[in-house]
Amino acid sequence: MDSTGEQISDALKSVFGKIEEKFGARLLGSSVFRGELTFLVAAEDLVEVATYCKAGLGFDRLEFLTGNHYPERLEQPFEVAVHLTSMATNDRLRLKVPLKEGQKMPTLSSLWPAANWCERETWEMYGIEFEGHPNLIRLLTDADFEGHPLRKDFPVRGLVGGRIRTDLKGKI
Amino acid sequence: MTSPRDPRHPHINGEMVREASEREVRLLAEGNLNRPEEHVPGVAIPAQLEKLLGFGRSFSWWPLLFGLACCAIEMMATAGPRYDMSRFGMEAMRASPRQADGMIVAGWCSVKMAPRVVRLYEQIPDPKWVLAMGSCAISGNVWDTYHVVQGIDSLIPVDVYVPGCPPRPEALWQGLEMLRDKVKQSDHAYDRVPVIPARASIGE
Repeated sequence: MDSTGEQISDALKSVFGKIEEKFGARLLGSSVFRGELTFLVAAEDLVEVATYCKAGLGFDRLEFLTGNHYPERLEQPFEVAVHLTSMATNDRLRLKVPLKEGQKMPTLSSLWPAANWCERETWEMYGIEFEGHPNLIRLLTDADFEGHPLRKDFPVRGLVGGRIRTDLKGKI
Repeated sequence: MTSPRDPRHPHINGEMVREASEREVRLLAEGNLNRPEEHVPGVAIPAQLEKLLGFGRSFSWWPLLFGLACCAIEMMATAGPRYDMSRFGMEAMRASPRQADGMIVAGWCSVKMAPRVVRLYEQIPDPKWVLAMGSCAISGNVWDTYHVVQGIDSLIPVDVYVPGCPPRPEALWQGLEMLRDKVKQSDHAYDRVPVIPARASIGE
């Protein structure tokens, strides 16, 4: 555990202990920040860890699943963050998966149906593909939108921009 | 009229088509098919009658229920008891464009929503007026981004602009008063702006 001087609750300490005990060397890391516990997990191990969290530790609710892009990290610029909550004990856990450009990761939609749309949005905005996802198409933008908008190298104004929306040609 | 699912309904190559009427052929040649025809006062009905109709319309102008984003809340507040829109008959916000007299576009319009906004505008029968409420509908406000239309006047002709983020109900009220003046005089934006430059330049 990172010794930042932050303390986590006893319940989270026991969660930490159990996960460390079960997966130990396969985890890429863990951290504590302001009472929140985060584990860094490799893409291959994610489904196993998530299944254990859900079935064994009672984290039955997926709060959100989103992506991140850190272009300054040359090795693994992308990252998927999975937020889990336990409804019975109101504990929260975060799993982060660092990814290379173009690396795919397994879908969590078989474990939590909420992951379905979250993964669609993550793919749409960052270009992170999820293997085994039943319906990986655009969610918030137009079906024929090109590009992945929330990447740091995508211009804020977009590729069309301005008042002359050539992407509306043929639609209005 | 046969249902589109009936095989006798006119279909050509899978598309529903029918012969264009004379009026449609003329409008298509002018490039004016989906735009309202120009209103020339005093031709169809006498000017005095028109004034009477305008006066009547201004007291029961029913907008299309079209709150897109946060400005909708201020529009609802204007329809609420304190700043009552019902004093001038506007509380009857119609859900169907066919029954509406115009639109109050309240909020930012995304590129995904833009064809739907235009289609709803085209479905409102003449005479119609549009009020762009809030900075997002006027110009896109701070959202100069990949998916926000920078002002809906690049898509449809707008009569009154009400700036604000969001405009207070009193500000929207002032805009509605200006709109009611235009309704009284049967003054339409689509007469002044027969061609919208931003739409013409994408070849529509």
